[in-house]
Amino acid sequence: MKYSYIKPRKKTPITPELQIIFTFFAITLLMLFLTYAFLLYKDYTFEKDRYSIIEHKKELKVSIKKMEKQISFIQKQKALAEKIFTQNMVLKDSIANLFDLVPQRITLSHAKLLRNGLILYGITPNKDVYNFMLQAPLRSIFHKTYSSFYPAKNGWLMFVSTNYMDESQIEELESED
Amino acid sequence: MKIKISRHYLYILLISVFLFLFVIIFSFGILIPKGKQYREFRQELRKENVELRKYQDFYDETFKTLKDLQSKNRHIITALDTAFNPDRFEKQHKVFFSSLHVSKIARSKNEEGFATYEVNTTSQMSSPKNFYDFLDALNKSDWIIGVNFPIDFKRDGEMIKSSFTMKVYTNNKDKNSTASGSVAK
Repeated sequence: MKYSYIKPRKKTPITPELQIIFTFFAITLLMLFLTYAFLLYKDYTFEKDRYSIIEHKKELKVSIKKMEKQISFIQKQKALAEKIFTQNMVLKDSIANLFDLVPQRITLSHAKLLRNGLILYGITPNKDVYNFMLQAPLRSIFHKTYSSFYPAKNGWLMFVSTNYMDESQIEELESED
Repeated sequence: MKIKISRHYLYILLISVFLFLFVIIFSFGILIPKGKQYREFRQELRKENVELRKYQDFYDETFKTLKDLQSKNRHIITALDTAFNPDRFEKQHKVFFSSLHVSKIARSKNEEGFATYEVNTTSQMSSPKNFYDFLDALNKSDWIIGVNFPIDFKRDGEMIKSSFTMKVYTNNKDKNSTASGSVAK
Protein backbone atom coordinates (compact mmCIF):
# COMPACT_ATOMS: atom_id res chain seq x y z
CA MET A 1 0.00 0.00 0.00
CA LYS A 2 1.30 3.37 -1.03
CA TYR A 3 0.97 6.46 1.20
CA SER A 4 2.65 8.96 -1.14
CA TYR A 5 2.94 9.63 -4.78
CA ILE A 6 6.56 10.86 -4.62
CA LYS A 7 9.59 8.75 -3.93
CA PRO A 8 10.94 8.99 -0.39
CA ARG A 9 14.04 11.30 0.02
CA LYS A 10 17.17 9.79 1.40
CA LYS A 11 17.84 11.16 4.88
CA THR A 12 21.42 12.39 5.60
CA PRO A 13 22.80 13.97 8.78
CA ILE A 14 24.60 16.69 6.73
CA THR A 15 21.80 18.98 5.99
CA PRO A 16 22.28 22.22 4.03
CA GLU A 17 22.08 24.20 7.31
CA LEU A 18 24.85 22.12 8.79
CA GLN A 19 26.91 22.56 5.64
CA ILE A 20 26.59 26.36 5.90
CA ILE A 21 27.58 26.31 9.55
CA PHE A 22 30.55 24.02 8.90
CA THR A 23 31.72 26.15 5.99
CA PHE A 24 31.43 29.30 8.07
CA PHE A 25 33.35 27.82 11.00
CA ALA A 26 35.90 26.14 8.74
CA ILE A 27 36.74 29.49 7.12
CA THR A 28 36.84 31.21 10.52
CA LEU A 29 39.07 28.55 12.05
CA LEU A 30 41.33 28.50 9.00
CA MET A 31 41.81 32.25 9.26
CA LEU A 32 42.50 32.00 12.98
CA PHE A 33 45.03 29.19 12.55
CA LEU A 34 46.71 30.94 9.65
CA THR A 35 47.04 34.11 11.72
CA TYR A 36 48.41 32.10 14.60
CA ALA A 37 50.89 30.32 12.33
CA PHE A 38 51.95 33.68 10.89
CA LEU A 39 52.51 35.08 14.39
CA LEU A 40 54.46 31.99 15.42
CA TYR A 41 56.65 32.25 12.33
CA LYS A 42 57.21 35.98 12.87
CA ASP A 43 58.11 35.47 16.52
CA TYR A 44 60.62 32.84 15.47
CA THR A 45 62.20 35.12 12.86
CA PHE A 46 62.24 38.06 15.28
CA GLU A 47 63.99 35.96 17.89
CA LYS A 48 66.45 34.71 15.28
CA ASP A 49 67.13 38.25 14.01
CA ARG A 50 67.49 39.55 17.55
CA TYR A 51 70.01 36.85 18.36
CA SER A 52 72.01 37.57 15.19
CA ILE A 53 71.92 41.34 15.95
CA ILE A 54 73.19 40.70 19.48
CA GLU A 55 75.97 38.48 18.09
CA HIS A 56 76.85 41.11 15.48
CA LYS A 57 76.89 43.80 18.18
CA LYS A 58 79.24 41.67 20.27
CA GLU A 59 81.56 41.20 17.29
CA LEU A 60 81.48 44.94 16.58
CA LYS A 61 82.26 45.69 20.22
CA VAL A 62 85.28 43.38 20.14
CA SER A 63 86.48 44.86 16.84
CA ILE A 64 86.01 48.42 18.12
CA LYS A 65 87.98 47.62 21.26
CA LYS A 66 90.74 46.04 19.18
CA MET A 67 90.84 49.03 16.85
CA GLU A 68 90.89 51.48 19.74
CA LYS A 69 93.84 49.57 21.15
CA GLN A 70 95.57 49.78 17.77
CA ILE A 71 94.78 53.51 17.48
CA SER A 72 96.25 54.24 20.90
CA PHE A 73 99.30 52.13 20.05
CA ILE A 74 99.85 53.97 16.75
CA GLN A 75 99.46 57.29 18.58
CA LYS A 76 102.06 56.09 21.06
CA GLN A 77 104.38 55.10 18.18
CA LYS A 78 103.80 58.47 16.52
CA ALA A 79 104.53 60.37 19.74
CA LEU A 80 107.76 58.42 20.28
CA ALA A 81 108.92 58.87 16.67
CA GLU A 82 108.13 62.58 16.72
CA LYS A 83 110.03 62.94 20.00
CA ILE A 84 113.07 61.20 18.50
CA PHE A 85 112.88 63.23 15.29
CA THR A 86 112.65 66.45 17.30
CA GLN A 87 115.59 65.40 19.48
CA ASN A 88 117.66 64.73 16.36
CA MET A 89 116.76 68.14 14.94
CA VAL A 90 117.50 69.86 18.25
CA LEU A 91 120.84 68.06 18.33
CA LYS A 92 121.57 69.18 14.80
CA ASP A 93 120.80 72.80 15.71
CA SER A 94 122.86 72.53 18.91
CA ILE A 95 125.91 71.25 17.03
CA ALA A 96 125.46 73.91 14.36
CA ASN A 97 125.22 76.59 17.07
CA LEU A 98 128.31 75.22 18.79
CA PHE A 99 130.40 75.38 15.64
CA ASP A 100 129.03 78.86 14.88
CA LEU A 101 130.02 79.91 18.39
CA VAL A 102 133.69 79.18 17.81
CA PRO A 103 135.41 82.27 16.39
CA GLN A 104 137.73 82.15 13.37
CA ARG A 105 140.84 82.80 15.49
CA ILE A 106 140.26 79.79 17.73
CA THR A 107 140.74 76.30 16.36
CA LEU A 108 139.05 73.32 17.96
CA SER A 109 140.85 70.02 18.04
CA HIS A 110 138.36 68.01 19.99
CA ALA A 111 134.74 68.55 21.08
CA LYS A 112 132.82 66.29 23.39
CA LEU A 113 129.09 66.85 23.67
CA LEU A 114 127.63 65.41 26.85
CA ARG A 115 124.03 65.24 27.98
CA ASN A 116 124.73 67.84 30.66
CA GLY A 117 127.75 69.62 29.27
CA LEU A 118 130.38 70.31 26.70
CA ILE A 119 134.13 69.78 26.74
CA LEU A 120 136.20 71.63 24.18
CA TYR A 121 139.86 71.20 23.37
CA GLY A 122 141.56 73.70 21.10
CA ILE A 123 144.15 76.32 20.47
CA THR A 124 143.87 80.08 20.92
CA PRO A 125 146.33 82.90 20.13
CA ASN A 126 145.95 84.25 23.66
CA LYS A 127 143.78 84.15 26.75
CA ASP A 128 141.92 87.37 25.90
CA VAL A 129 140.67 86.07 22.57
CA TYR A 130 139.47 82.94 24.33
CA ASN A 131 137.86 84.81 27.25
CA PHE A 132 136.00 87.36 25.13
CA MET A 133 135.13 85.36 22.08
CA LEU A 134 134.47 81.89 23.41
CA GLN A 135 134.18 81.79 27.16
CA ALA A 136 131.70 84.68 27.36
CA PRO A 137 129.07 83.02 25.13
CA LEU A 138 129.72 79.67 26.80
CA ARG A 139 129.10 81.24 30.22
CA SER A 140 125.74 82.53 29.04
CA ILE A 141 124.68 79.00 28.14
CA PHE A 142 126.25 76.86 30.88
CA HIS A 143 126.11 77.22 34.64
CA LYS A 144 129.62 76.02 35.40
CA THR A 145 132.54 76.78 33.13
CA TYR A 146 136.13 75.78 33.84
CA SER A 147 139.08 76.56 31.61
CA SER A 148 142.68 75.49 31.73
CA PHE A 149 145.53 76.54 29.46
CA TYR A 150 148.91 75.20 28.59
CA PRO A 151 151.43 76.53 26.07
CA ALA A 152 151.64 75.17 22.56
CA LYS A 153 154.84 74.81 20.55
CA ASN A 154 154.07 77.82 18.30
CA GLY A 155 153.63 80.18 21.25
CA TRP A 156 149.84 79.98 21.21
CA LEU A 157 147.83 78.52 24.07
CA MET A 158 146.13 75.18 24.11
CA PHE A 159 142.97 75.15 26.18
CA VAL A 160 140.50 72.76 27.72
CA SER A 161 137.05 74.23 28.37
CA THR A 162 134.71 72.20 30.54
CA ASN A 163 131.13 73.42 30.74
CA TYR A 164 128.21 71.97 32.68
CA MET A 165 124.52 72.66 32.98
CA ASP A 166 122.31 72.25 36.06
CA GLU A 167 120.26 69.04 36.09
CA SER A 168 117.05 71.03 36.61
CA GLN A 169 117.61 73.02 33.42
CA ILE A 170 118.31 69.86 31.43
CA GLU A 171 115.05 68.36 32.66
CA GLU A 172 113.27 71.58 31.72
CA LEU A 173 114.74 71.51 28.22
CA GLU A 174 113.87 67.83 27.83
CA SER A 175 110.29 68.44 28.90
CA GLU A 176 110.05 71.30 26.38
CA ASP A 177 111.14 68.87 23.65
CA MET B 1 3.68 27.52 25.75
CA LYS B 2 6.01 24.81 24.79
CA ILE B 3 8.82 25.42 22.22
CA LYS B 4 9.37 22.40 20.15
CA ILE B 5 12.87 22.05 18.62
CA SER B 6 13.71 19.07 16.62
CA ARG B 7 16.68 16.98 17.68
CA HIS B 8 18.50 17.83 14.45
CA TYR B 9 18.36 21.57 15.07
CA LEU B 10 19.39 21.04 18.64
CA TYR B 11 22.57 19.31 17.45
CA ILE B 12 23.27 22.13 15.03
CA LEU B 13 22.78 24.65 17.80
CA LEU B 14 25.09 22.76 20.12
CA ILE B 15 27.81 22.45 17.48
CA SER B 16 27.47 26.12 16.66
CA VAL B 17 27.74 27.12 20.31
CA PHE B 18 30.72 24.83 20.80
CA LEU B 19 32.55 26.20 17.72
CA PHE B 20 31.67 29.76 18.65
CA LEU B 21 33.07 29.26 22.14
CA PHE B 22 36.19 27.69 20.67
CA VAL B 23 36.70 30.69 18.36
CA ILE B 24 36.20 33.12 21.26
CA ILE B 25 38.53 31.25 23.64
CA PHE B 26 41.18 30.76 20.94
CA SER B 27 41.04 34.39 19.91
CA PHE B 28 41.14 35.92 23.38
CA GLY B 29 43.21 33.24 25.09
CA ILE B 30 45.89 32.60 22.49
CA LEU B 31 45.73 34.79 19.41
CA ILE B 32 45.45 38.22 21.03
CA PRO B 33 48.27 37.61 23.61
CA LYS B 34 50.42 36.26 20.78
CA GLY B 35 49.65 39.38 18.76
CA LYS B 36 50.70 41.55 21.69
CA GLN B 37 53.91 39.55 22.03
CA TYR B 38 54.48 39.99 18.28
CA ARG B 39 54.19 43.75 18.64
CA GLU B 40 56.56 43.77 21.61
CA PHE B 41 59.11 41.65 19.74
CA ARG B 42 58.84 43.92 16.72
CA GLN B 43 59.41 46.97 18.92
CA GLU B 44 62.37 45.31 20.60
CA LEU B 45 63.87 44.33 17.27
CA ARG B 46 63.54 47.90 16.05
CA LYS B 47 65.38 49.11 19.16
CA GLU B 48 68.10 46.53 18.63
CA ASN B 49 68.39 47.60 15.01
CA VAL B 50 68.75 51.25 15.99
CA GLU B 51 71.43 50.30 18.51
CA LEU B 52 73.18 48.12 15.92
CA ARG B 53 73.20 51.04 13.48
CA LYS B 54 74.84 53.20 16.15
CA TYR B 55 77.47 50.51 16.75
CA GLN B 56 78.01 50.13 13.02
CA ASP B 57 78.43 53.89 12.60
CA PHE B 58 80.90 54.03 15.48
CA TYR B 59 82.73 51.02 14.04
CA ASP B 60 82.94 52.72 10.62
CA GLU B 61 84.18 55.92 12.22
CA THR B 62 86.82 54.08 14.29
CA PHE B 63 87.84 52.03 11.25
CA LYS B 64 88.26 55.22 9.21
CA THR B 65 90.32 56.84 11.98
CA LEU B 66 92.51 53.75 12.20
CA LYS B 67 93.04 53.57 8.44
CA ASP B 68 93.82 57.32 8.31
CA LEU B 69 96.32 56.95 11.13
CA GLN B 70 97.88 53.90 9.50
CA SER B 71 98.25 55.59 6.14
CA LYS B 72 99.56 58.86 7.60
CA ASN B 73 102.09 57.10 9.85
CA ARG B 74 103.04 54.23 7.54
CA HIS B 75 106.73 55.15 7.71
CA ILE B 76 106.77 55.20 11.52
CA ILE B 77 104.80 51.94 11.83
CA THR B 78 107.02 50.11 9.34
CA ALA B 79 110.18 51.58 10.85
CA LEU B 80 109.25 50.41 14.34
CA ASP B 81 108.48 46.95 12.99
CA THR B 82 111.79 46.60 11.15
CA ALA B 83 114.71 44.88 12.83
CA PHE B 84 117.92 46.91 12.71
CA ASN B 85 120.44 45.78 10.11
CA PRO B 86 123.91 47.37 10.56
CA ASP B 87 125.06 46.48 7.04
CA ARG B 88 122.02 48.03 5.42
CA PHE B 89 122.37 51.10 7.65
CA GLU B 90 125.99 51.55 6.64
CA LYS B 91 125.09 51.14 2.98
CA GLN B 92 122.32 53.72 3.17
CA HIS B 93 124.22 56.33 5.18
CA LYS B 94 127.84 56.04 4.13
CA VAL B 95 127.20 58.72 1.47
CA PHE B 96 127.39 61.32 4.24
CA PHE B 97 130.79 60.20 5.52
CA SER B 98 134.21 59.28 4.25
CA SER B 99 133.97 56.19 6.37
CA LEU B 100 131.22 54.82 8.58
CA HIS B 101 131.32 51.89 10.90
CA VAL B 102 128.43 50.61 12.98
CA SER B 103 129.28 48.21 15.78
CA LYS B 104 127.23 45.30 17.03
CA ILE B 105 123.89 46.06 18.55
CA ALA B 106 123.26 45.60 22.26
CA ARG B 107 119.84 45.47 23.88
CA SER B 108 119.23 48.19 26.46
CA LYS B 109 116.29 48.76 28.79
CA ASN B 110 112.79 49.35 27.44
CA GLU B 111 111.71 52.95 26.89
CA GLU B 112 108.03 53.95 26.96
CA GLY B 113 107.08 50.34 26.24
CA PHE B 114 109.40 50.03 23.24
CA ALA B 115 112.48 47.86 22.95
CA THR B 116 115.70 49.80 22.47
CA TYR B 117 119.07 48.76 21.10
CA GLU B 118 122.29 50.73 21.43
CA VAL B 119 124.60 50.97 18.47
CA ASN B 120 128.07 52.50 18.59
CA THR B 121 129.02 54.42 15.51
CA THR B 122 132.35 55.77 14.35
CA SER B 123 132.75 57.87 11.25
CA GLN B 124 134.98 60.27 9.40
CA MET B 125 133.72 63.34 7.60
CA SER B 126 135.12 66.37 5.87
CA SER B 127 132.71 68.95 7.31
CA PRO B 128 130.11 69.23 10.09
CA LYS B 129 127.53 69.73 7.32
CA ASN B 130 127.85 66.02 6.56
CA PHE B 131 126.74 65.32 10.10
CA TYR B 132 123.73 67.66 9.74
CA ASP B 133 122.73 65.90 6.52
CA PHE B 134 123.16 62.57 8.28
CA LEU B 135 120.81 63.69 11.08
CA ASP B 136 118.25 64.81 8.47
CA ALA B 137 118.52 61.47 6.70
CA LEU B 138 118.23 59.60 9.99
CA ASN B 139 114.67 60.88 10.42
CA LYS B 140 113.73 59.42 7.04
CA SER B 141 115.56 56.12 7.45
CA ASP B 142 114.06 52.62 7.67
CA TRP B 143 114.35 52.64 11.46
CA ILE B 144 113.49 54.98 14.31
CA ILE B 145 116.91 56.09 15.50
CA GLY B 146 117.94 58.75 17.95
CA VAL B 147 121.48 59.97 18.30
CA ASN B 148 122.58 59.89 21.90
CA PHE B 149 125.13 61.68 23.98
CA PRO B 150 128.09 61.62 24.32
CA ILE B 151 129.09 62.72 20.83
CA ASP B 152 132.74 63.03 20.17
CA PHE B 153 134.27 65.13 17.38
CA LYS B 154 138.01 64.96 16.94
CA ARG B 155 140.14 66.74 14.39
CA ASP B 156 142.21 64.36 12.29
CA GLY B 157 144.17 66.39 9.75
CA GLU B 158 141.60 67.79 7.31
CA MET B 159 138.95 65.36 8.49
CA ILE B 160 136.70 65.16 11.56
CA LYS B 161 136.48 61.86 13.35
CA SER B 162 133.24 61.34 15.17
CA SER B 163 132.00 58.68 17.50
CA PHE B 164 128.58 58.52 19.06
CA THR B 165 125.91 56.16 20.26
CA MET B 166 122.61 55.69 18.52
CA LYS B 167 119.48 54.28 20.04
CA VAL B 168 117.32 52.16 17.76
CA TYR B 169 113.67 51.81 18.80
CA THR B 170 111.53 48.84 17.83
CA ASN B 171 108.18 47.41 18.87
CA ASN B 172 108.27 45.34 21.99
CA LYS B 173 107.08 42.05 20.46
CA ASP B 174 105.82 40.57 23.74
CA LYS B 175 103.69 43.57 24.72
CA ASN B 176 102.51 45.01 21.46
CA SER B 177 102.13 42.02 19.20
CA THR B 178 98.34 42.00 19.61
CA ALA B 179 97.99 45.71 19.11
CA SER B 180 99.90 45.78 15.85
CA GLY B 181 97.69 43.19 14.12
CA SER B 182 95.32 44.31 11.41
CA VAL B 183 91.55 44.41 11.62
CA ALA B 184 89.48 42.93 8.84
CA LYS B 185 86.01 44.31 8.34
